[in-house]
Amino acid sequence: MLILRYLILAAISVILFTPFILSFLGTFKTNIEIISWPPKFFPANWLWKNWLDTWTTDLGRGGTFPRWLFNTAFLAVLTGTLQVLFCAMGGYAFARLKFRGKNIIFTFMLSSMMLPGIVSLVPKYVFMAKIHLINTYWALILPGAVDAFGIFLLTQYFKSIPGELEDACKIDGASYLDIFRNVIIPLSGPALLTLFILKFQSMWNNFMEALLYLSKVSMWTLNVALMTFQQQYQTKWNLTLVGAMFNAFPVLLLFFIFSKYYMEGVSYSGLKG
Amino acid sequence: MNKQASLSKMRKVEERAAYLFLSPYLIMTIVFTVGMILFALYISLHSWNLFQSPEFVGLDNYFKAFRSEDFLRGFLNITWYTLLVVFFQTFIAVFMAVVLFKPIPGKQFFRTFFYAPSVTSSVVISMIFWWMYLKTGYVNLLMSKVAGIFGGEWNAVEWLNNPTGLFQLIARAFGGDIAFAQWYLHGPSVTWMALMVQAVYTTSPTFMIMFLAALVNIPPSLYESASIDGANSWKQFWKITLPMLRPIMLLVVVLGTMGCIQMFDYVKIMTAGGPLGTTLTPVYQIYTETLGINGPIRAGYGAAMAFILAVVIFVFTYIQRKFIEEKTELY
Repeated sequence: MLILRYLILAAISVILFTPFILSFLGTFKTNIEIISWPPKFFPANWLWKNWLDTWTTDLGRGGTFPRWLFNTAFLAVLTGTLQVLFCAMGGYAFARLKFRGKNIIFTFMLSSMMLPGIVSLVPKYVFMAKIHLINTYWALILPGAVDAFGIFLLTQYFKSIPGELEDACKIDGASYLDIFRNVIIPLSGPALLTLFILKFQSMWNNFMEALLYLSKVSMWTLNVALMTFQQQYQTKWNLTLVGAMFNAFPVLLLFFIFSKYYMEGVSYSGLKG
Repeated sequence: MNKQASLSKMRKVEERAAYLFLSPYLIMTIVFTVGMILFALYISLHSWNLFQSPEFVGLDNYFKAFRSEDFLRGFLNITWYTLLVVFFQTFIAVFMAVVLFKPIPGKQFFRTFFYAPSVTSSVVISMIFWWMYLKTGYVNLLMSKVAGIFGGEWNAVEWLNNPTGLFQLIARAFGGDIAFAQWYLHGPSVTWMALMVQAVYTTSPTFMIMFLAALVNIPPSLYESASIDGANSWKQFWKITLPMLRPIMLLVVVLGTMGCIQMFDYVKIMTAGGPLGTTLTPVYQIYTETLGINGPIRAGYGAAMAFILAVVIFVFTYIQRKFIEEKTELY
């Protein structure tokens, strides 16, 4: 029985990883070898040069791989940080403070999570165009800086922190900001990291907004660059695959380091139901 | 100052603090949620190319959408896509979760390993699959090897450029055919099904993690008493595991449906709606109309299609919710 289960697990692993392994090996092939029939598993010669060629691609006007990598990382880190800050603030208000309209706002927030994102696609694009935020990073950062899911997640977490410490601080005359900074935030490390990682990943992988709002070559993210790269070098599949690897490696690395937080984040999103 | 007054002053301080803490969310939600829905409604009632001033046209954009063959085609495509992808991804996710759930050495390792492909972006996945779907790619190699085992021959297929529908294939296998003009009877095209495989590949592990989290919450005592009663593990799966997973299954189906109906990335990256419109989706059309990719910019028409789509999503998820909740009460 144990052997059977290991066989199933091994089979699933093979299915899931074969595409990645094949493409990794493909990055070392020549551009003829990579599309010739029948496809071979290993490259005839290991062309490490492909990696250098892709890395040093220059589309002009500042369109280079290091630049795109930096843009993507910058956006992902910034939105992750803003999300953690703003969602923690909102979560603290919902978890600990009393105010008029609290229930109404909370219910509104929960139901807004069921709203399909497609409704706001057109107006957001028109809005960004009219206030001249197209081709600025604001167009991606502003709408992504805070959202209902993050506030909900942190509200639930803050509620599970015992309140005694805060009561003691209040007697000592601490303000709400002091309590938020010195009690709540230090006690919530894992939850904040989970939210950061979720938002980092979703910005890193963001495609539609980056495509809509960033048309300058020097401002592209890796996703937009990779798509355009493929369209321009349609016959150079080896270089395209190297580009895919540059795109995938950083998130995969982050994932393997913080996998525990990733899993928690995904199962948290299951708590909504 | 008496006690009453100081108490109400404290309340005021608390309330002001609360609204200050909430202000980033409130500002953003007023602008980007409430504001954008109202703006979308306004745009959808106008004809607007974004350069001249908008012209009021009432519900014309909505009527236009319902009369457009492309829009109906997109809806039919996305219906096939949602039905098949949601079914397979839920089924596979449950299967993987159940296999992984029982204590087994190396469980953590496999769990991490299974989830890894899901963290990569849709563009990366598209590039990898596109390359494997080439006429000289690995998918055709696999098919020819499988065919070889059964002593047959495999004619290499251009997976991303094959408009033949599933029902057409079946009809042809029996010597018949379905007329070209009756596109609505063709079923999902080969290319469309290739994209479905790719979608199931990336979403199943995410949903597996959700099912795993839910499995942990099933009290072990249920299984213990069942095995005392002599129920084997197959029976335990049907009588305990599956019913206990129903709430999370509802969530997975609803999330899956919302994601599938708004499918955009793979179509934009790999097929641009082709071949012969068999991979057109409503969101892709909203995108092309709003940016004027295949003609003039028609933001109003795009917004109207988006509203219709949103209503469809809402109705679908509502029905699923009712349906699965009703079923749950049976247990």
